[in-house]
Amino acid sequence: MRTSDLIEILALDVRPTPPGAVNRKLLTALVAGGLVTFAIVALWLRCQPLLAAAHQSWFWMKAAYTGLLTVAAAVTVRRLSVPGSRIGLAPFAAALVILVMLALGVGQILSATQAGRLALWLGHTWKICSPLILLLAMPIYACLIAAIRGLAPTRPALTGAAAGLAAGALAASLYGLHCPEQAAAFVATWYTLGIGAATALGAITGSRLLRW
Amino acid sequence: MPAYFAARPRALQAGRHFSVCDSPSARIRITPLARRERVDPSVPHQDETEERLRPLMIRSLEGDPGAHRQLLGVLGRYLRGYFARRIGAAAAEVEDLVQETLLAVHLKRDSYDRSLPFTPWAYALARYKLIDHLRRRSRSIQVPLEDAGALFAAEDAEERALRTDLERLLQRLPDRQRSLIEDVKLQGLSVEEAAHKRGVTAVSARVMLHRSLKWLSQAIRDENI
Repeated sequence: MRTSDLIEILALDVRPTPPGAVNRKLLTALVAGGLVTFAIVALWLRCQPLLAAAHQSWFWMKAAYTGLLTVAAAVTVRRLSVPGSRIGLAPFAAALVILVMLALGVGQILSATQAGRLALWLGHTWKICSPLILLLAMPIYACLIAAIRGLAPTRPALTGAAAGLAAGALAASLYGLHCPEQAAAFVATWYTLGIGAATALGAITGSRLLRW
Repeated sequence: MPAYFAARPRALQAGRHFSVCDSPSARIRITPLARRERVDPSVPHQDETEERLRPLMIRSLEGDPGAHRQLLGVLGRYLRGYFARRIGAAAAEVEDLVQETLLAVHLKRDSYDRSLPFTPWAYALARYKLIDHLRRRSRSIQVPLEDAGALFAAEDAEERALRTDLERLLQRLPDRQRSLIEDVKLQGLSVEEAAHKRGVTAVSARVMLHRSLKWLSQAIRDENI
């Protein structure tokens, strides 16, 4: 088939697209995946007493950490899905958020008494925290990947990693509705580990799933 | 002081020197890479290309088939020149890559952000397809990241022979989808007329056509190794 014939056929497949398709696709994916994960948290894990928790600073510390990370990662995904746009500062913002959280965790450990350190670090739920965040990230990751496949990431592995980071961070935000742990050292370690696992999984699968 | 430390301030100075000398209205261009200087003709009218193609792209996104046809026609000529300069004018895959990239431009239109310039978007797609092609043939490749001028340096209107004939790939489609494409291509029917002839609704014919093109884009990629 000649190239000019192909162009004639492609011209038959033209339909109007409203502006802002990229943002709409990605936001829809985050909301849809987030709703599934929220349902799992609310119905299976159960939320902690939220009214009481909302008066505690540790609750907002966790929300700020995972929330800011979600925003930075989502912006990165958006940039990576649009060919020719600059990636900008969002990945550095994500790295900064993680570094601040790690610093808070280390500071807390250092200022704690020798005897209390291990309890602070491990809390009551360290064994299940990271695996649960990874599990909760899956519905969000699946929705995000489906949306990105409709866009044009020119760096599949990196885009997959950013999608994994966004999914992990949003999952951790929703997991915070359930998780009663209060220590910065706990969050800096086990939340970050779960989010990191989702990021690694995204990098590995993204290089296959996001080719076009 | 080690040499690599000494080298950096010099580079910074050179950069400052460059921007101070330029008049504020002049556009500061990144020095072209050595490879591009060797291969691509100089690009005197890149901004003109942008001004010509971006309105076409926007009209195409608004659903204007004529603008879409015109845009893909111009892009095809630039793509042919670009790929020929990169993998060799005699390479059998040049036209295949052109068709594969045009399919990508068509199917990935949603990823274009109307507030951004068009030529870097098109260049990024072309470069991705080139890298993808080279990577699947050999393990290690180097494609320098350039500005969009690398793609829009020169048009090449002469279609070349194909290695992979889409017609042959189309034979693998289910009958209904294939006959729809044959109707619109060979007999020049509109999608509505073809749908009427085959006894399906126009909407489902459109969906079928879009799916066939998606499938074709995957098939041509798998074929062009």
